[in-house]
Amino acid sequence: MPPNERAEKQAAAQQAVDILHEIATILNCHLDRRTLSICISMIENGVNPEALAAVIKELRQEGQGGQIDAAAAAASSSTRRR
Amino acid sequence: MAHLAHLGALTGDLVAAVTAIPENQTARRDEYRDAILQSLRSHRFTRTNQFEVEKHLRGLEEHFHVLGRDALGEALRQRLNAIEPHRTQFTPEILHFLLELADQPVKKSNISD
Repeated sequence: MPPNERAEKQAAAQQAVDILHEIATILNCHLDRRTLSICISMIENGVNPEALAAVIKELRQEGQGGQIDAAAAAASSSTRRR
Repeated sequence: MAHLAHLGALTGDLVAAVTAIPENQTARRDEYRDAILQSLRSHRFTRTNQFEVEKHLRGLEEHFHVLGRDALGEALRQRLNAIEPHRTQFTPEILHFLLELADQPVKKSNISD
Protein backbone atom coordinates (compact mmCIF):
# COMPACT_ATOMS: atom_id res chain seq x y z
CA MET A 1 0.00 0.00 0.00
CA PRO A 2 1.43 3.41 -0.93
CA PRO A 3 2.58 5.47 2.08
CA ASN A 4 0.03 8.23 1.37
CA GLU A 5 -2.83 5.76 1.30
CA ARG A 6 -1.62 4.11 4.50
CA ALA A 7 -1.40 7.49 6.25
CA GLU A 8 -4.93 8.37 5.11
CA LYS A 9 -6.30 5.06 6.39
CA GLN A 10 -4.57 5.54 9.73
CA ALA A 11 -5.96 9.06 10.02
CA ALA A 12 -9.47 7.78 9.24
CA ALA A 13 -9.11 5.01 11.83
CA GLN A 14 -7.94 7.53 14.44
CA GLN A 15 -10.89 9.77 13.64
CA ALA A 16 -13.27 6.82 14.08
CA VAL A 17 -11.77 6.01 17.49
CA ASP A 18 -12.07 9.68 18.48
CA ILE A 19 -15.77 9.70 17.62
CA LEU A 20 -16.37 6.41 19.44
CA HIS A 21 -14.57 7.79 22.48
CA GLU A 22 -16.86 10.82 22.41
CA ILE A 23 -19.86 8.47 22.28
CA ALA A 24 -18.38 6.48 25.18
CA THR A 25 -18.07 9.72 27.16
CA ILE A 26 -21.67 10.73 26.44
CA LEU A 27 -22.80 7.26 27.59
CA ASN A 28 -20.64 7.59 30.73
CA CYS A 29 -18.74 4.35 30.05
CA HIS A 30 -15.67 5.35 32.13
CA LEU A 31 -13.34 4.31 29.29
CA ASP A 32 -10.17 6.19 28.48
CA ARG A 33 -9.11 6.36 24.86
CA ARG A 34 -6.37 3.75 25.21
CA THR A 35 -8.65 1.15 26.83
CA LEU A 36 -11.33 1.84 24.24
CA SER A 37 -8.82 1.40 21.43
CA ILE A 38 -7.74 -1.97 22.85
CA CYS A 39 -11.37 -3.08 23.19
CA ILE A 40 -12.15 -2.07 19.62
CA SER A 41 -9.21 -4.17 18.41
CA MET A 42 -10.43 -7.12 20.47
CA ILE A 43 -13.93 -6.87 19.02
CA GLU A 44 -12.46 -6.64 15.52
CA ASN A 45 -10.60 -9.86 16.36
CA GLY A 46 -13.81 -11.69 17.12
CA VAL A 47 -14.41 -11.05 20.81
CA ASN A 48 -18.09 -10.91 21.79
CA PRO A 49 -18.93 -7.35 22.95
CA GLU A 50 -21.14 -8.42 25.87
CA ALA A 51 -18.52 -10.86 27.10
CA LEU A 52 -15.88 -8.14 26.86
CA ALA A 53 -18.05 -5.67 28.76
CA ALA A 54 -18.59 -8.30 31.49
CA VAL A 55 -14.81 -8.75 31.71
CA ILE A 56 -14.23 -4.99 32.01
CA LYS A 57 -16.81 -4.73 34.81
CA GLU A 58 -15.19 -7.62 36.65
CA LEU A 59 -11.68 -6.17 36.25
CA ARG A 60 -12.95 -2.90 37.69
CA GLN A 61 -14.50 -4.71 40.64
CA GLU A 62 -11.28 -6.65 41.09
CA GLY A 63 -9.52 -3.36 41.38
CA GLN A 64 -11.87 -2.72 44.29
CA GLY A 65 -11.20 -6.15 45.86
CA GLY A 66 -13.35 -8.60 43.85
CA GLN A 67 -12.43 -12.10 42.59
CA ILE A 68 -11.10 -12.75 39.06
CA ASP A 69 -12.80 -16.16 39.00
CA ALA A 70 -16.15 -14.39 39.01
CA ALA A 71 -15.33 -13.06 35.53
CA ALA A 72 -15.19 -16.57 34.10
CA ALA A 73 -18.30 -17.58 36.03
CA ALA A 74 -20.26 -14.49 34.96
CA ALA A 75 -19.37 -14.83 31.30
CA SER A 76 -19.99 -18.58 31.11
CA SER A 77 -23.19 -18.76 33.14
CA SER A 78 -25.17 -15.92 31.51
CA THR A 79 -27.52 -16.71 28.65
CA ARG A 80 -29.06 -13.71 26.97
CA ARG A 81 -31.91 -13.66 24.45
CA ARG A 82 -32.58 -10.78 22.13
CA MET B 1 -1.98 -19.39 16.07
CA ALA B 2 -1.02 -15.85 15.06
CA HIS B 3 -4.58 -14.72 15.72
CA LEU B 4 -4.60 -16.26 19.21
CA ALA B 5 -1.22 -14.71 19.95
CA HIS B 6 -2.51 -11.32 18.84
CA LEU B 7 -5.64 -11.68 20.99
CA GLY B 8 -3.45 -12.73 23.91
CA ALA B 9 -1.33 -9.62 23.47
CA LEU B 10 -4.42 -7.39 23.30
CA THR B 11 -5.80 -9.03 26.44
CA GLY B 12 -2.50 -8.39 28.20
CA ASP B 13 -2.74 -4.73 27.17
CA LEU B 14 -6.30 -4.64 28.51
CA VAL B 15 -5.21 -6.00 31.90
CA ALA B 16 -2.47 -3.39 32.05
CA ALA B 17 -4.88 -0.60 31.10
CA VAL B 18 -7.75 -1.48 33.44
CA THR B 19 -6.06 -2.93 36.53
CA ALA B 20 -3.53 -1.34 38.82
CA ILE B 21 -1.23 -4.38 38.76
CA PRO B 22 2.36 -3.10 38.65
CA GLU B 23 4.32 -3.80 35.48
CA ASN B 24 6.86 -5.96 37.31
CA GLN B 25 4.18 -8.37 38.53
CA THR B 26 4.13 -10.26 35.23
CA ALA B 27 2.94 -13.57 36.73
CA ARG B 28 -0.12 -11.90 38.22
CA ARG B 29 -0.86 -10.02 35.00
CA ASP B 30 -0.49 -13.28 33.04
CA GLU B 31 -2.90 -15.01 35.42
CA TYR B 32 -5.52 -12.32 34.77
CA ARG B 33 -4.88 -12.44 31.04
CA ASP B 34 -5.34 -16.22 30.90
CA ALA B 35 -8.52 -16.10 33.01
CA ILE B 36 -9.96 -13.41 30.74
CA LEU B 37 -9.12 -15.37 27.59
CA GLN B 38 -10.83 -18.42 29.09
CA SER B 39 -13.97 -16.45 29.95
CA LEU B 40 -14.07 -14.82 26.50
CA ARG B 41 -13.89 -18.28 24.89
CA SER B 42 -16.53 -19.90 27.13
CA HIS B 43 -19.18 -17.20 27.28
CA ARG B 44 -22.82 -17.86 26.33
CA PHE B 45 -23.75 -14.40 25.09
CA THR B 46 -25.57 -14.20 21.78
CA ARG B 47 -24.50 -12.27 18.69
CA THR B 48 -25.18 -8.57 18.49
CA ASN B 49 -28.51 -7.63 16.96
CA GLN B 50 -27.72 -4.36 15.20
CA PHE B 51 -31.41 -3.38 15.07
CA GLU B 52 -31.69 -3.72 18.85
CA VAL B 53 -28.55 -1.59 19.20
CA GLU B 54 -30.01 1.13 16.95
CA LYS B 55 -33.30 0.97 18.84
CA HIS B 56 -31.51 1.27 22.18
CA LEU B 57 -29.50 4.29 20.99
CA ARG B 58 -32.60 6.02 19.58
CA GLY B 59 -34.38 5.37 22.87
CA LEU B 60 -31.50 6.86 24.79
CA GLU B 61 -31.46 9.94 22.58
CA GLU B 62 -35.20 10.41 23.16
CA HIS B 63 -34.73 9.87 26.87
CA PHE B 64 -32.14 12.67 26.96
CA HIS B 65 -34.62 15.02 25.28
CA VAL B 66 -37.61 13.97 27.40
CA LEU B 67 -35.65 14.73 30.59
CA GLY B 68 -34.54 18.12 29.32
CA ARG B 69 -30.95 17.11 28.55
CA ASP B 70 -31.25 18.27 24.97
CA ALA B 71 -27.57 19.14 24.54
CA LEU B 72 -26.59 15.55 25.38
CA GLY B 73 -29.27 14.14 23.10
CA GLU B 74 -28.06 16.34 20.28
CA ALA B 75 -24.42 15.50 21.00
CA LEU B 76 -25.22 11.78 20.80
CA ARG B 77 -27.09 12.21 17.52
CA GLN B 78 -24.21 14.23 16.03
CA ARG B 79 -21.64 11.58 17.04
CA LEU B 80 -23.80 8.74 15.68
CA ASN B 81 -24.10 10.61 12.39
CA ALA B 82 -20.36 11.29 12.39
CA ILE B 83 -19.49 7.59 12.78
CA GLU B 84 -21.52 6.62 9.70
CA PRO B 85 -18.81 7.38 7.09
CA HIS B 86 -16.44 5.24 9.21
CA ARG B 87 -18.93 2.40 9.68
CA THR B 88 -17.53 -1.13 9.39
CA GLN B 89 -19.02 -4.57 9.99
CA PHE B 90 -17.92 -4.20 13.61
CA THR B 91 -19.57 -0.83 14.33
CA PRO B 92 -22.80 -2.37 15.72
CA GLU B 93 -20.79 -4.61 18.05
CA ILE B 94 -18.64 -1.72 19.26
CA LEU B 95 -21.75 0.36 19.95
CA HIS B 96 -23.28 -2.67 21.71
CA PHE B 97 -20.16 -2.86 23.88
CA LEU B 98 -20.48 0.82 24.80
CA LEU B 99 -24.16 0.40 25.66
CA GLU B 100 -23.27 -2.50 27.98
CA LEU B 101 -20.83 -0.25 29.84
CA ALA B 102 -23.08 2.83 29.89
CA ASP B 103 -23.48 4.04 33.46
CA GLN B 104 -26.77 5.92 33.82
CA PRO B 105 -25.87 8.49 31.14
CA VAL B 106 -29.19 10.34 31.35
CA LYS B 107 -28.60 10.96 35.02
CA LYS B 108 -24.82 11.26 35.24
CA SER B 109 -23.35 12.46 31.95
CA ASN B 110 -22.30 16.09 31.54
CA ILE B 111 -22.01 17.88 28.21
CA SER B 112 -18.84 19.57 29.46
CA ASP B 113 -17.10 16.18 29.48
